[in-house]
Amino acid sequence: MIARAARQLALVLALALVPAVVSGAWQLAWKKAEPLAAGEVRLATAREWGARVQWVDARSRAKFERTRIPGALLLNEDEWDKLVGPFLDAWDADKTLVVYCDGGSCEASHQVAARLRKDLMIGGVLVLKGGFAEWQGL
Amino acid sequence: MHIRILFGLATLLLLTSHSRAQLQWDNLVQQFQRTPQDEGLEARFTFRNTGAKAVTIKSLRASCGCTTPRLEKETYVPGEAGAVVARFVFGDRKGPQRKTIEVRTDDDSAGPVLLDLRVLIHDPLTIQPALVYWKRGDAATAKTIQLTAEAGQPVRIKRIIASNPRLAAKLETVKAGEHYTVAVTPTDTTQKESGEVFVLTDFPADAPRTYILQVRVK
Repeated sequence: MIARAARQLALVLALALVPAVVSGAWQLAWKKAEPLAAGEVRLATAREWGARVQWVDARSRAKFERTRIPGALLLNEDEWDKLVGPFLDAWDADKTLVVYCDGGSCEASHQVAARLRKDLMIGGVLVLKGGFAEWQGL
Repeated sequence: MHIRILFGLATLLLLTSHSRAQLQWDNLVQQFQRTPQDEGLEARFTFRNTGAKAVTIKSLRASCGCTTPRLEKETYVPGEAGAVVARFVFGDRKGPQRKTIEVRTDDDSAGPVLLDLRVLIHDPLTIQPALVYWKRGDAATAKTIQLTAEAGQPVRIKRIIASNPRLAAKLETVKAGEHYTVAVTPTDTTQKESGEVFVLTDFPADAPRTYILQVRVK
């Protein structure tokens, strides 16, 4: 009776192991292979560029004032008209602009990067993959 | 025998979890066209609980801080209708905008629902580019900005004002109400300069807009 129960338990565990292994492998592969969209850069790459990068914070003023990447300039679409002048005064045309927002599904960095490229016709504008959450290591 | 019972239970669990999906949404995608002067809008995403159990909305998460979703209440009994009202504040946004709201309920068997708000914030005057700049040492030659009104929506430029006398700006009318150019020329490029060119228009008639062109010597 005990031997039979043990056999059945082993069978159930074996059956559960198959989808668990498949799911685990898929998630690892997904994390590893998540591709960069056009105009995006990974944190490790941007860090390698060091002082040649100008960080641009596309989040709200409140979030920017609370915490930000050191040296970042604030530029968001909530206050674009007010912020763009001071931003351009501080902007160094020889640096690559890397724009970030919260991370996850936030779109602000892509929107700000698009306006820098299209409206101001500034070249060398990239978006940080994973956003500020990636910088914080979350 | 025991194995059959186990599989039976698993199948039953699967079937019950699928039959619980209960909120029926009328329009998951809503589209609007507005102008910057509208400053914002509210969209109502209506739904009805078509299931046999009460549903509680656990969270609403907007893709942008500019969009605030709200609910009148959280729990809806079978047959009851409700709405998620999303308030989108434009700020200085323009062009096509897409904001999403993720809705999670206490029955997540079908995954979260994504409400999709699409707004075209329409500005009749296109400025290309909105920035001209020179690096120090560049030739101090003129750079030209094109201002083009959308067909059928004339925008007349009344005059321009340059904030920095070392960055001279000259307005030229290519076709009144439709196409203008502004040529900007720095006195020289030996030092950093910063300035704006204010473009005063007659549109809209009740509150004419002033556009700002950015000029720099870096």
